Amino acid sequence: MPAPRWLRPLARVRLLQSWPWLLLLGSLLAVRLSKGAGLADAYALLSRPFWPGTAQAEWLRSARRFEDRARMAALEADNARLRGLLGLQRAAPARLTAPVIARDPAGWWQTLLLGRGSLQGVAEGQPVLAPGGLIGLVSGVTPSTARVTLLTDPASRVGVWVGRTRHHGLLTGLGTARPVLRFLEKDPGVVAGDLVTTSPASTLVPPELPVGVIQSVDLGADPAPEAIVLLGAPVGAVDWVQVLPR
Amino acid sequence: MGPLSRNPWLAASLLLAPLLTLAAPGWPRLAGIGPSWAVLWLLPWALVDGQLSGALAGAVLGLLLDSLHPGGASELPALVLLGWWWGRLGRLGPPVERSFNLGLLALLGCLLLDLSLMLQWLLRSSLGRIGTTLAGGSLDPALLAQPGWHASDLGMVGVHVLLARTLVTGLLAPVLCSLQMVLWRHQASGGWRR
Repeated sequence: MPAPRWLRPLARVRLLQSWPWLLLLGSLLAVRLSKGAGLADAYALLSRPFWPGTAQAEWLRSARRFEDRARMAALEADNARLRGLLGLQRAAPARLTAPVIARDPAGWWQTLLLGRGSLQGVAEGQPVLAPGGLIGLVSGVTPSTARVTLLTDPASRVGVWVGRTRHHGLLTGLGTARPVLRFLEKDPGVVAGDLVTTSPASTLVPPELPVGVIQSVDLGADPAPEAIVLLGAPVGAVDWVQVLPR
Repeated sequence: MGPLSRNPWLAASLLLAPLLTLAAPGWPRLAGIGPSWAVLWLLPWALVDGQLSGALAGAVLGLLLDSLHPGGASELPALVLLGWWWGRLGRLGPPVERSFNLGLLALLGCLLLDLSLMLQWLLRSSLGRIGTTLAGGSLDPALLAQPGWHASDLGMVGVHVLLARTLVTGLLAPVLCSLQMVLWRHQASGGWRR
């Protein structure tokens, strides 16, 4: 019903006076409908100086490492139990710790020289581990030293597999810091980030030793797909390694 | 044989090359590749002591360095050739003393040494390929399992290694070889015996 004639000027004046309130109401409605957009962003902007610092991030990483270690211990126990059930259980051989006394991780030959040799029980062909995973195989031994051919050396060939897809391949050194994984199947189904471990079928190295992660995949490579592998162990910086008896 | 090789202490300095190869110090590196210490030792020795001594020192160095490597290719032939060549240069022409000339000779020597290694790997790879083809295979995956440098890797990574090693050897030679030549010329003229 239209307002009476004598009320019309008053309504117009009130409408003109209340436009800021209407604007505020509209803004609140927009915030509500957008589920807090703007408000949460403003809060994030204002509270940025009080966000958790690197110390808290380090706590989280430490907790994550603890969780990973616990999970790994549980998985190792489970793996040992299953291998025992399958009759594959062997006595875990003692690992020999050896210092790296010379290194040449780049160049024509990519090798490490260890300060332990045949007198300490090191033999040719034994796998060598560093924090992060397998780094190479012993390729020569003297009474007090052992030469390790790194996985990055072009002479290195190790059978590996991708556990997620259960596809085997040959890890081949190229002379660069990242070896290439040549698959045996046309469609390996792997993606970047997949974990590469030693092959359960390998006769050269113990099964399931971590090697690295896949960085990129080239499905069009000839004669079979290839993947670049980022090694888990920092080969250029490692000072102590472990030699696994075979 | 020249006067240097008659002094066993000076001849024993040859061991510095394999020891430095093993120690692989971190500072003189270019793109992660160190110099050829064998070239840096052999160049002043051969220039001062002559071609026979140079070739012999090259052979000894080659044997020592080959024993330190897992194998696949040998540095011996190129080092013998370089020792002979530099010994002739030192005896036949005017004395090589300028830093630029020393750097250039070291650069050429390292280039020749690395090219000889590449050639050996290339021959191995080609022989393997020919053998596989003769056996009836087209592109045998077993060929990929053959250890060592392959032609495709040599064309990319190998050239990078060659260039880096050659350049860093050529850059270090003027300093290190000049000092060694001063020391050894002093010894050759009867320095410490006087």
